[in-house]
Amino acid sequence: MAFQIKYYLCKIHFKLHKVYKYLTILLVLISFGFQQPNSYDVNSKFKAVFLYSFTRYFDWPDEKKTDAFVIYVVGKNDALVAELKKNLSGKKKVGNQEIEIKNSPAFDPSITSNIIYFAPDALKPVTDAASKNKKKGVLIVAEAPGACKSGASINFIFLENKLKFEYSKNAAVKAGLKTNEDFKALAEINID
Amino acid sequence: MRQHIKYLLLSLPMLISVSVLAQEDKLVRAQQLLRNKETEAAIKAIDSVIVHPQTRLDFISWTTRAYIYFDFYKRSGEKALLNSRLRDTIVSSLLASNKLKPDSHYLVQNKNLLSNLSVNYFNLSKKLLEDSVNEQRSLIAYNRFKELNRVVNPNVDLSSYDIAYNVALGSIFSDRFIKDNSDIKSQEIAKVALLKVLEVQPENPTANINMGLMFYNHAVFLSKSLDYGADFSQIDIVQENMVKLAKQSEQFILKVYSNDNKNTKAIQALFYIYRMLNEIPKSDDFKKKGELLGLKFSDQENEK
Repeated sequence: MAFQIKYYLCKIHFKLHKVYKYLTILLVLISFGFQQPNSYDVNSKFKAVFLYSFTRYFDWPDEKKTDAFVIYVVGKNDALVAELKKNLSGKKKVGNQEIEIKNSPAFDPSITSNIIYFAPDALKPVTDAASKNKKKGVLIVAEAPGACKSGASINFIFLENKLKFEYSKNAAVKAGLKTNEDFKALAEINID
Repeated sequence: MRQHIKYLLLSLPMLISVSVLAQEDKLVRAQQLLRNKETEAAIKAIDSVIVHPQTRLDFISWTTRAYIYFDFYKRSGEKALLNSRLRDTIVSSLLASNKLKPDSHYLVQNKNLLSNLSVNYFNLSKKLLEDSVNEQRSLIAYNRFKELNRVVNPNVDLSSYDIAYNVALGSIFSDRFIKDNSDIKSQEIAKVALLKVLEVQPENPTANINMGLMFYNHAVFLSKSLDYGADFSQIDIVQENMVKLAKQSEQFILKVYSNDNKNTKAIQALFYIYRMLNEIPKSDDFKKKGELLGLKFSDQENEK
């Protein structure tokens, strides 16, 4: 009788023999758990929010209040362009104006705009753009050392890992914009 | 009268033998029923064997009972349940058999079946995590897995399982938190689980990377949720919090990178962290390193 039981149990034992192997496979399976970093470019988001916020502090000449309110990005910043198009075009307005986003790798003087943002790789034409847009009601925003001295009204800077900005009221006035005094207090550095 | 007593005394051992043989026959019958897949009848037979004084102290009865119940259990659907009476019966039968000092053959049989059940608990703990994200029930199953393993081998080192389990727990709950940042409970569960891993293995790459990415992805979420109508003071608060989270994240990921400068997960994460912190030379450096190792970087997320 004992033999019979042993025989039967041995058959089951054979089936169970793979248990330990299985246990090892499970360990490998359960260890499989990496998260992915989100590829979203947060700084493009902050720049886009800043650009939109700037519209609350300046008054554009009447001739710039017809048609669309154009934000023109000069240089390569696909994430910023995508962010602006996704969240502002057709979604937000400046006064009664719909927002339109334009982009070109180099400054194109034939593009009419309300705000020109010069990405860091497009520094040189700031002076050119400032002189060509004098009194035309264009807010020039740049992102390069000394850009406000080259004619930009606003220059993005990074302080302690945070996006801030320098402001040149004179450059804004020269550009034909009515300025808001409160804006000076929001700037990290006032150039003049 | 004397004659009667004499006959009675002579027949007593015979009666006892008959009774013992009857019980042993029942044990064999239970085996036969099991072989014929008449498990329910086998259960009835074996349940009478283990209560009979002649056979209840026999480890063979208890091991056989465990295997009969196991056969029933396999087909009952109770494998998927956290609390199963059948499973409990199998375990208690095996423990009873073990207490009766079985021979080496039966000891192995008992261990094998206990191991099988422990794997069952391990699967359950994993399933409860992945399917229903029920960490409390999962933890109960996981602890039972460990308990049974310790019965099989009291000196077993289960730390690798603890690590794997907590990494999985941490990953699943940090993922939940990233998807819903108001889910603070998930964040806490993830942190506790991953910190448990780091207590045992401070350099564990998976735990460090998941911990780091939890902070980084949280920072992304905060920035992404910033409203376009926010005033400058709100923007500043969001940036402040983002920077704090990114720096916390950096600590964990750098630990992995300093141990293995070819770790693509760490390189990829450091690129994104330094990009977030506007430390462009560093992010460019990690981008180059990553590209050399075949990584591709994008910011397509802004277009979604």
